Amino acid sequence: MRRLYDLAYGRSGDKGNIVNLSVIARSPEAYQEIKAKLTAARVKAHLGDLVKGDVVRYEMDNIEALNFVCHAALDGGATRSLRIDSLGKSLAGALLYMVWDE
Amino acid sequence: MTYRIGSAQGFYGDDVLKALPMIRGGHVDVVCFEALSELTLAILQKDKLANPKRGYTFDVKLIAQKILPEAFARKIPLITNGGGLNPQAAAEMVRETAAAQGLTGLKVAAVSGDDVLARLSDLQAAGEALRHLETGEVLADSANQNFVTANVYLGAAPIVEALHAGADIVITGRVADPCLYLAPLIAHYGWAWDDWDRLAAGIVVGHLLECTGQVVGGNSLGMIAHTDAVGLAALGYPIAHVEADGSFILSKTPDTPGQVTLETVKEQLLYEVHDPSRYITPDVVADFTTLRLQAAGADAVLVAGVTGRSRTDTLKLNLGRLEGFSRELIFTIGWPEAWRKVEQMKAMLGAIFARMPGIARVDYSYLGMNSLYGSLSPLPPDPLEVIVRVMFTADDQDTLKNAVRQIMTTGLSGPAGMSVSGTTVGGEPRYVIGLWPTLIGRERVQPQVEVMTV
Repeated sequence: MRRLYDLAYGRSGDKGNIVNLSVIARSPEAYQEIKAKLTAARVKAHLGDLVKGDVVRYEMDNIEALNFVCHAALDGGATRSLRIDSLGKSLAGALLYMVWDE
Repeated sequence: MTYRIGSAQGFYGDDVLKALPMIRGGHVDVVCFEALSELTLAILQKDKLANPKRGYTFDVKLIAQKILPEAFARKIPLITNGGGLNPQAAAEMVRETAAAQGLTGLKVAAVSGDDVLARLSDLQAAGEALRHLETGEVLADSANQNFVTANVYLGAAPIVEALHAGADIVITGRVADPCLYLAPLIAHYGWAWDDWDRLAAGIVVGHLLECTGQVVGGNSLGMIAHTDAVGLAALGYPIAHVEADGSFILSKTPDTPGQVTLETVKEQLLYEVHDPSRYITPDVVADFTTLRLQAAGADAVLVAGVTGRSRTDTLKLNLGRLEGFSRELIFTIGWPEAWRKVEQMKAMLGAIFARMPGIARVDYSYLGMNSLYGSLSPLPPDPLEVIVRVMFTADDQDTLKNAVRQIMTTGLSGPAGMSVSGTTVGGEPRYVIGLWPTLIGRERVQPQVEVMTV
């Protein structure tokens, strides 16, 4: 079994109640694979109740990375969130945990 | 001639003394300090309410005491947005500190005009709806009008003006983070205000530098297998070597721990970014999708080909409002029948909260089980231990203190084996600040620059 983390790494960043999750491919081949298969809908379904709003995907062919912008994903944002990780520092890991293939 | 920008602060509380090896080693032409987050201004407002001469970050004092004398001796300007809610008071403090150190002739500049809290009614009367950027709600329609901060993200122009006036240290309020770093490039190279590609390149310089350690190996998942963990405690902070055409080599203070690689640069490039083809700043809309990265030797990455488009007619305005207070308690529960005990404890706490109408939000999580990844985390059927974190909020602190007292009365009456972490019992309520990001017409904001001489 491979997880997304086997193909990519990434970092999360907070802005208000929005978290962005970068997914940076480990190789050109991995980039083609995630670009073809890692849709916004798939990310939204995977993250479940962590993300209450929309997920929007952006592509960066120049650095072989995708960027997922997740709305209403930080329980109100760092200043009002009740989560222990109020900044969402760990959330990139939640996405990379996705089972890629069995 | 290459122009070199050092970055020695990425948040309030960062190690600003990382500027010293940059300056002493002759590695930089300017050093920038980025101190403000969305949360920081609300913290500073508490200081300012207690004392009208406060409201700036205390790091500015450290910069004035320890760094400014050495930078001034070498004619290396310092730029910081650590003035927070009171850049004038910070500048006055720096002037006094510099005078006490005999730094005669030193020029201190204060940049203000970002704080529009006192103008909110006037701005709305003039036709600014101040709609919430995420929800679209009009500000006047919001029930909670308890705003404590309202700061516009200013651009590079007032800093450029201060540098042209010969400022040795520029202290600003809310300036957009990357514009702190763009400003000295404009002042040095004389880039035009509609030279969008170069302005955008300067924004990328700033964006990569503004989080200090995060581009030199800190918080790097991509380089985790190559991280010198002991070195993390003494990372050398980043330096950009920028050419007149806007291309630059990102590196770090020589002979210090850390690493600058394609991985660390890519990670930081997308940090806190939404649409990478439209990174909106006060001075330019930068496009990150045209740039090229190239390894350029040990701990050096070349960045070239950044493009930009004309700036927007609006500026971002972020308001903070007091939404009450929160309190945290952590309970431990062990085997046997841990889940049954947890459910009994939650039912008991629920009954206590229910008889206190001031309690607003209540949130439970199980540390080590589901506190980070929520529904992604399968819960074990028969755990040896469960650590329950309870967060609850109220409009006022007294309600929270009263709730804690009532919860503590159940110490001998609760479910079997329940225990509470003593440090959390001794904790204090925390402020809950709600943010209201919005846009405001550019013409409504007039930055001011004051220069004083020691």
